[in-house]
This record gives sequence, structure tokens and C-alpha cells, in this order.
Amino acid sequence: ISNFYPWDPELMSQDLLFRGRVKQPARAKATIDVIEQLNHFLWDHGDIAFGPLGMLLQENFNLGEKKKSRKNKMVMNTEWLLRDLNGYQPKGCPWAHLSTRQRRFSLLGGTVLGEEVENLLGGLLHEELETRWKRLLLDEASTGGALGWVPGAKPHHGQLVYPTGRAHDQLNFQKVKLSPTNEPQALGDPSHILLRGPVRQVVTRTIQGEALVAVRSDHHCALWKLEHRGPPEPLQVLEMEKEATGISLSPHLPGELAVCTRSGAVCLWSPQHGLQQIHKDPETFVFKDPSSWRWADFTAHPRVLTVADRTGLRFADARAPSDCGELLFRVGAEASCQRGERVLLAQYLGTPDPLPLSPTLHLVCTQFSLYLLDERLPLVPLLKWNHGLLSPPLLAQLLPPPYPEAPLPLLLGGLGGHLRMLHLSGSGRTPQLAAPPQSLPSLIDSLPGFPVLEPHGQQLLQERLRAPLTGLAAVVPPGCPSPTMLLFQLSAAGDVFYQRLWLQPDTSSESAGSPSTDHPSAVSWKPRAVACCRRWLKTLLQVPPTLPSWTPPTFSQHHLRWLKEENKGKVQEGLRAAMAEGRLLLQGDLAPLPPSDPPPAHEPFGTEDKLSERLEASWERKGAIWWDGQRDGSRLPRKRQSREKRRTQLSSSFSSVRSTSDFSDVNSPLPHPPKTPSPLHRMSETSQSLELSQELWVKNIPRERRQTLRDYLAVLPSPDSGNCSIPQFQNPSSQSLSTSEPGKCSVPCSQNPRTQTLFSPLPESYSAFYSQNPNSQSLYSQNPNSQSLYSPEPAFNSVFHSQNSSIQKLPSRHTPSLAGSQPLRKKPRMGF
Amino acid sequence: MDAFSEELMGFVQKDNQVEASKDPVPEIHLPWLSQHIQSTGSHGQKGTNFAQTTSICLNFIQEALLKHQWQRASEFLQCYLQTLEDINSQKRQMAPEISLQHALYLLHNGMVEDAYRNLNQAESWRYGEMSASQEKLIKLIQAYRGLLDYYTWSKKRTEVSSFDMDGFATNAATQDMHSYFRQASVNLHEIIKIPGVWDTFVKSYVEMLEFYGDQDGARQVLTDYAYDNNFPSNPNAHIYLYKFLKKEKAPEDKLISVLKILHQIVPSHKIMLEFHMLLKKSNKEEHHKLGLEVLLAILDFSGCTENITAWSYLAKYLKQIIKGKHREWVQEGWSSRKDWWPTFHFSYYLAKKNWKENRILALKKAFTSGILLGKGCKYFMYVSKQGHKIREKSIKTMKKFVMKHNILDSEEH
Repeated sequence: ISNFYPWDPELMSQDLLFRGRVKQPARAKATIDVIEQLNHFLWDHGDIAFGPLGMLLQENFNLGEKKKSRKNKMVMNTEWLLRDLNGYQPKGCPWAHLSTRQRRFSLLGGTVLGEEVENLLGGLLHEELETRWKRLLLDEASTGGALGWVPGAKPHHGQLVYPTGRAHDQLNFQKVKLSPTNEPQALGDPSHILLRGPVRQVVTRTIQGEALVAVRSDHHCALWKLEHRGPPEPLQVLEMEKEATGISLSPHLPGELAVCTRSGAVCLWSPQHGLQQIHKDPETFVFKDPSSWRWADFTAHPRVLTVADRTGLRFADARAPSDCGELLFRVGAEASCQRGERVLLAQYLGTPDPLPLSPTLHLVCTQFSLYLLDERLPLVPLLKWNHGLLSPPLLAQLLPPPYPEAPLPLLLGGLGGHLRMLHLSGSGRTPQLAAPPQSLPSLIDSLPGFPVLEPHGQQLLQERLRAPLTGLAAVVPPGCPSPTMLLFQLSAAGDVFYQRLWLQPDTSSESAGSPSTDHPSAVSWKPRAVACCRRWLKTLLQVPPTLPSWTPPTFSQHHLRWLKEENKGKVQEGLRAAMAEGRLLLQGDLAPLPPSDPPPAHEPFGTEDKLSERLEASWERKGAIWWDGQRDGSRLPRKRQSREKRRTQLSSSFSSVRSTSDFSDVNSPLPHPPKTPSPLHRMSETSQSLELSQELWVKNIPRERRQTLRDYLAVLPSPDSGNCSIPQFQNPSSQSLSTSEPGKCSVPCSQNPRTQTLFSPLPESYSAFYSQNPNSQSLYSQNPNSQSLYSPEPAFNSVFHSQNSSIQKLPSRHTPSLAGSQPLRKKPRMGF
Repeated sequence: MDAFSEELMGFVQKDNQVEASKDPVPEIHLPWLSQHIQSTGSHGQKGTNFAQTTSICLNFIQEALLKHQWQRASEFLQCYLQTLEDINSQKRQMAPEISLQHALYLLHNGMVEDAYRNLNQAESWRYGEMSASQEKLIKLIQAYRGLLDYYTWSKKRTEVSSFDMDGFATNAATQDMHSYFRQASVNLHEIIKIPGVWDTFVKSYVEMLEFYGDQDGARQVLTDYAYDNNFPSNPNAHIYLYKFLKKEKAPEDKLISVLKILHQIVPSHKIMLEFHMLLKKSNKEEHHKLGLEVLLAILDFSGCTENITAWSYLAKYLKQIIKGKHREWVQEGWSSRKDWWPTFHFSYYLAKKNWKENRILALKKAFTSGILLGKGCKYFMYVSKQGHKIREKSIKTMKKFVMKHNILDSEEH
């Protein structure tokens, strides 16, 4: 069962740590690379970093606006300085050109600018990076796991409850049918509830016939009751000021919960009786530890809870909340703990069903070991085992025995996907390990079972399978002829995998070297599982990749400042909006695009036509007459020449715009948005030149075209904005172009060698941007609203949507299985 | 814990110590940290120093063991042991611990003599200076040796008592036995002085003392074991003392005082039913009152909800108390439970379940629920209705009693 959305592993240690040459890896210490990060930050979020300072200095600097008055001598013009800076200055290059102006400015302002940013931002950034690094090492939010199993009314039916979605905010209820022999089947699509926060923990419990689901988010906890028919019924929601760190459902009383938060408070909560605080202590129990993580669970007595922090476990009595309860476990000598050992997970192992084990057992997991404690015999663990997991063990589950009098499987899951299984036995007496502990195959172990993919796909698959394990739910289907166990695993990417384990008779004593025991890690795939996995993989590979989280800056102040005054605000707004949303800056975010205009190409043709006219005339011996006629027609020959020159320049710039829009006809849609917003450069340049050239050209419009121009101008937004200049109307042939079918003119365009060369320096993405808009021309002629020119965006969106819908059409529910068969040992064997 | 990763971590910790010297408590130590660092730092050359290689080897062994690939594990283990031969002093200091573990394994497989030899060797092992933890370990080894001596002693004892032997042979056997007793008692006596849980050791020691008629010594050992505040709270210590005193036919008051403590530590223990009977028999009224609390406390626990003896004791005792005009005791005991017992014990779901599975239990519980919650209680109503259907005789008397004596109605009066 999987949910497809692009998933990327977010932060990795490589992103945060100093990557210098480490001489002795054994002695290496984690060094957070603040300088690199600060560097990135200044590049990516220069507006935040320097904005406030710029605002302070704004009064004294003039950023190239027209000089208003010469009175204020305190104002410095930075136009030239900015112009100097505009050239690409390679970072750290000693030979980079440094003008005197730059030198002077950096000597005067460098210290102030540098220190401010360093002092104010550096500290904050360091703090943030440290938090991120700690979270990367130990993501305590997912303690307890977010996958729950609710058995249904019929013995082989049930529901899986788990979050999906990019923000883990969609809570899914997936009905599943188990089969004693076949693969489990997902029944229909999951029903879901959209929550307002990420789901961190899902707890399920069926007591006295009532199936309950409790969910912990960062600042909310909620309780649902599951009916056999109909949607889940919400019972109550609790809002917390401080972050909630743990929730557990009482195994004794239906609807009673224990909730704890970072404030150190532990409350008993039930929809009937409300909240009752039974413990509050911001300090840790045994010794001082900075962690504010707390955890609460129940004990064999319904009114007594256990409260855990990183240093130990303590009883808290709901009947006498003020009393400081006895310690059940403490990180210290009694449990012979190691240096730096801390409690990561605590769990009450008793359930309402009469178990072969005493209902007074508690599990405590640290980063090194697993402890079993009896609440009647506090402080001295009954059992200690070094689990050897290389990721924090944040998930644990004790299962009922697969058959009467069999040892109970205890599962332990690390955040990195590592799984351990222990077998506990000891009816009513001291629990013992009944067989050697086992390591179960993790998700990444199933990689060899997938077909070989091309490198990109392989990497995608690997990343997906390596996603942190955020939920674990094991089910022992009742009434199976040969006892099996189904193990559902939820990954942070939102996939739910399962593997089935069969109980196998113990053969190790006779045939220790038999192949079955020597190669249990070989993944066995059933044909159905293979088909399932292939489907899953196919869908996975079709998911559009996520945008890179970081793109290099692509524009400079120099270009922006030339934009017209009224557009500035819009540009800034657009920039801010794009930055706030963390997406790519699109054309639509900025000022309206100067109308992309028809014909660049007829210009050269025009002159050529003149030449052919003249040739024709001279052929007919009318050359002198033609010449005279030409001379009469030209009124300002000299000035015209210079203008002509300019016109060719301009037209060349138009032609680039034009040719790209023509590219739409070539019909080469690219599914990805442009990576570099280089159109911005181009756009501002063209708008600038357009604006300059407009008045000149309007005068030269032939009379018969003027009416058309007037018509267009009437429809366009205020003509004084300057941006809707329509230079193409100067050209006699433009009229025919806009009416004729676009394909006709596009052919010579793209074939024209001049436009080709002009076009080639532009990044491909530029053309891709426009190519999304196959109708730009017709749109323009039908609806000459400047907004319609921004159709690239909606057109792009529609492409995106269609991709989405194609994803939805694909089968979205799969049950890829890791049908790894690990032998369970039947005969309890003792070890030490 | 493997010595190598300890060594490895030692370096990291030393580094940490420099920074966190102000703080006496070390920071949380994450074993997967080195992985993260390696994944970042491995761009250059890979570090291949010796400690790393061995720790990788150890990881392989652990992995193979966890995957039950015994053959593979043993191959790796051979390599590992070879590399360890000379260099690791820490491992040598750990030798006694390994011997102890080995001895326990041998014991478990019934190879008592081998285990004994092993322990003897471990005891005499010396390497370098003995640390405090090693000293403790040696004591533990000695204690286990003492336990094995006790084992031989008890075997000899059965031999002596079962066979008809002439005087001389008996005398020699007794002498032999006595020497084992002396050896064992020295070691056992030593270990039970150290705070800890030494149930088996104490029991063996006490048994030997009792055999040689040292009742006072035995009582002293048990009393110390139960009441020494340095020892962790251990319900077994109190049970041993109680059983010893009971065998000695100690006065009931003394027995009650021992069980009173046990009641405070573990109110759910099955010996509490015996305690209830003791209290019931007592002459003191406060004991009678405690008797009710003991019963209620047993039923507080999830493991005892279907304990039919406890429910029938409670039903009987409630009747007795109400007849004895001590209704306020019931009310007092009930006040702290009335907000959760109804759902915990007397829900409609449980009434149906209990009636289906165990009718007598349902009847006892129904009576109690009637007394505590009145005749309107769901549990009482369901069971009496069902009982009526099958013409259960006791239903009528139960109903009559509940109507008259339930504490709910009496509160209103």
C-alpha cells in the first residue's frame, strides 16, 4: 500500500557536517559546517540577510534613480559601484578585478556589513543547524511509531491506520483482509482524514469491544472510535501549548489516555472525565539532562502510570498526583549502564489478554541495550540484551504467542529500518530469552529482488527503500494452520510494506550447516509479490522528481533597478512570494511581459525585396525612375540611417523573442519548468529597449496601419505604461502575419540562420518556457489583454495536472511484499 | 559490549570531556554518530586502521549471529580471535567475565563439574591491577562457586538420608558434607552482604543454616535481606521471611506485620489472599478494616480481574461488614475507586463476557456491583436478568440483599 508523491530524504549528514579531510575517522568529531551554510544562506536569502541593513543605509545611498536634488550631500550614488559589481566576480579569485570604488567601499563598509550579518545571523543559524543535526541523529518525534493495526469484527479483517502526504498530515484508514495462506489484500481505497498538523504517532487499542485510535501531532492529540461500518467517529481533540512527545492508550479502561508534553507535564485524559494532571516536573529524574522529551505509559494498575525521561522511569499515581513516585528504572549502576546511555523508549508490555507473561513487565530501550523490568521489582532489570542496532530503537511491539505455550515474539525497530526479534518465555515467572535473537530483513534488503534499473531509477528506488522506518505493526492472523506473522512497515516516504514470517520447526541442532539456516537472508519472491513490486516500481519511477531545494541566484540588482518605478513593487512582491513559497521564480511573478511580437524576419526580407525591386527595375531599364521614387519617399535620409541601424538591433532582439514563441509550433513540450529564470534578463532588456524606441516608431507608421494600431491600443492597458509598445505594427507586413496562420511564418523564422544564431546562446529552458504556450499568438490576436501573454504559466500547470491525473489513473494501491522468510524457531532453546 | 567500540568511543568521549568539563554528566552518546561522520568524511581516503578493521569484523560476527548464520559467524570469530590475541589488554581484564558466562552456559547444559572448574580458574585469574568492578566480579564468581558447593552439599544430604550406611560411612559423608557447607557458606555470606537481588543465594544459605539448626542465624539473614534499606525493594525477601516465620509458627501479629509491608510493595501478590484471611481472623478492628482494603487492592490490578477467589472473598466479606455495621469502611474504600471501577469491572461488555465464560464469577461480581453501585448497575441488571432466565436460585437472595443494603441507597438515607 503506497502513496505516491515525490519524496526526498531532506537533510543528510553530508549537508550539515564539515567535509574537510579527516585524518583519523575514529577520533573524528561531528563538526557542523556553519560557514558553508552561512555562505549558502547569504546567497539564497540575501534579502533576509542584508535587507534590514540595507533599509538602514537606504537614506544614504542612491541606487541609480534619477537625481532628484543635489542638496543632500549625505547621499551617495552607488550607480557606478553597482555597475562594477555587476560583472561576474568569481568568489575568492585573487585576480578578480577590483575597482578603486569597490575597494573603498569594502574597506569602509566591509567590517560593519560582515559583522552585523555574522553576529546576528551566525548565532541563530548555528543554533538552528545544531537542532537540525540533533534531529538527524535522533528524531524523537517519531517515537512509538505512526502505524497502527485495528482488528476488525471478522477474524481475518482489520484496518491499518497511518499517515501519508508530504507533511504527514493525511491520516489513512486502510481496510485489509488477511489470509492464512495468501498475501494480504487491501480492500478498496483508504478513507482519509486531513489533519492540520503532521501525524507523529498512532496508537490503536481494542478494549471491551471498542476499537480506538489515538493520534499525536506536534500540538494536538486526538481520539477516534472506529466503527465496523461507517467512517471513524472523532471523540475529542486536545490542543497543547508545548509540543506533545508521547501518547498512549490505556489497556484497562476504554478511552483513557496518557499524554505528555515538553513542559514536563503528564496528564491522564479521557473524553468523559477530561484532563487530570498527574505529574509535572521540568527537571529530569535522576540527573540533569537537557532533553525535554517525556514519555508516559500505563502499568498493571489502571491508576498508576509510568513516566519516562532520558534518565529513567518513574511511577506516577493518579490517586495521589502530588506524591513523587518510586523509580522503576534509572540510568546508572543497577542496570550497569554505559557512559552517555539514555532512555529512548519505554513501553508497558502487559495487555488485557491473559498472557503467558506476567502483566507487570516493562520494556526500556536505550541506544545500546534493551531492558525488561518488572514493576514489582524496581530498579533491577530482569533481562538486559545488547541489541546492536545502528539507529535509534524507537519502535517496539510484543505479540501474542503464535500458538499456545509458544514464546512471545518481541519486535524492536530502529529508525534506520533495522529490525530485531526476540522470543520471550517464562510463564508467570522471570522472563527469559527462549531462542537466539534474530535480525529480520529490512526494506533495503529487498533491493536485489527488484529488476535492475538505470542509475537514476536505481538511486530513486534505493532512496525510497532507505527512508526512515516510522511505523511498525505486526499481526498474527488467528486460526492459521501453520502459524505465521505479518509484519507491516511504514516508511517516512509514506509506503507501507509487509513481510510474512513463517514459524519453522527448530532444525538447528541437527543440521546447523544446512542451506536453509545458512542463507535465510535470501529474499524469496512469490510471483504475485513480483508483479506487485513491479507495479509499485513503475508508478514510483513516474513520479515527477522533486525540484532541487537550492538553485543558484540568477539575477542581479543591476537589471532589476532599471525596471520602471511602478513595476518595482510588483517585482519585489513577486520575488517575495516566490521565496516565501520556496518555488521557482516564474515570469508571471514579475512585471507583465512586453508583448511578444511578430515578425523579426521580414526586416531583412524587406531590404532584400528593395534590392530585388531595384534589380527588376534596372532589368527593365527603369532603374533611374526607381531611384528617384525612392529618393522622394525618404524624408530624413541621414537620421534614418542611424535609426535603421538601431532598428536592426532591436529587431534582432525581437526576433529572439519571436523565434522562441514560434518554437511552440515545433511542438516540443518539456514536462519540467525552466530551471534558470533567464527570461527575466531578456525580458527586462527588451522592455527597456522597447520603451526607448517606441516614440520614434509611432511617428513612422504608415497611415493605413494607424487605425489597426489604435484599435489595439484601445484594448491594451494604459498605453502610457510603455510596456505595451507594439513595434511590430511599424512593419507593413505584420498585419498579414497576425492574421495568417502561425505556422507559415514560423518556418522561415526557424530556418533563418540569423535567428538561429541569436537563439542559440539562450539556454534551452528559455524555449521550453515558451513552448508550453502553443497558443500565444492566437491568444494574443483574439484577446489582446497583456495578461494573456502569461499563458506559459497556466499552460505549464495544465501539463502538470495532466501528469498528476495520469498518476491517479495508475493503480495507486499496491502491496509490494518482502516475502522474506525467516525461520521462527519452534522449539524453545536456551542460551545465555 | 565489545572492547573495541568501547575503545573507539573512549576517544570520542575524551574529546567530549574537554568541552563538557564543566558538566559532570556526559552528553547522550549515540553509537550511530560515527556512521554519519564516516559517510561525510569518506570522500577522501578511507581510514583503515586496526581498531576499525576489528570492529568491522565484530559487527560481521554479530550480524551473522543475528541472522542465525552460525557457520559464517564461526569463521569470522576465528579471524577475530586471531587479531585479538596479543593487542587487547582490556579484553584480558574481561576474561573473568567471559569465564563466568561460560560457566553459566555449562551449568545450563548440566555440565556442573566443568562449570565448577571454570569458576575456579576464573577466580584465580589475575591480569594487571584489579579494578573495583573486577573485584565485584570475582565476588560474584565466588558466589556462584558457593552455589555449586551448596548443590553438592544438597546432593550429599539426600544421599546420606536415603541410604542405609554404617556409622563410619555416615560419619565420613557427614564430614564431607560439612566441608562443602563451610566452603559454600563463606562465599554465600560474602555476596549477600552486597546490596542486590540474591534470591537463590539467600535461599540456599538459609536452607543450610536451618539444616544445622542455626534458626537465629537464618532469621537474621532473612530479616537483613528484607529490611536493609540499602538493598533494592524486593518482594521476594518479604515472602521468604514470611514463609520462614510461618514455618517457625511465629505469632500472627508478626506475620501480619511482615505481610503489611509486602502489601505496600506488591498489593497484587497472591499471598495477599492469605493475608486477608489472617486479618479476618484477627481480633483487632483495624485489621478487619485493612482486610477489606487488601481485597479491593488485589482487584485493582489488571492481572487479577478474573480472580474468582478474590471476588468470592470480597462478596462474602462485604456481606459480613454490612451485617457488622461497618458500612463506612466500604464507602471509604469505594470513594477512590468509584470513578473507574464501574468501567473497569462492571461494564455491560464484561457482564456479557463473564456470564458467558464463568457464571460463578459473574454472580460474585454482580453481587459486589449491586452493593457498590446499587440495583441500577448495568452489570447487576444484566446478570440478574440472565440468572432469572435460567432460574438461578441465588439470584433472589442476592437481589433482596442488594435492595436492602447497597451503599448507594444508604448514602441517601
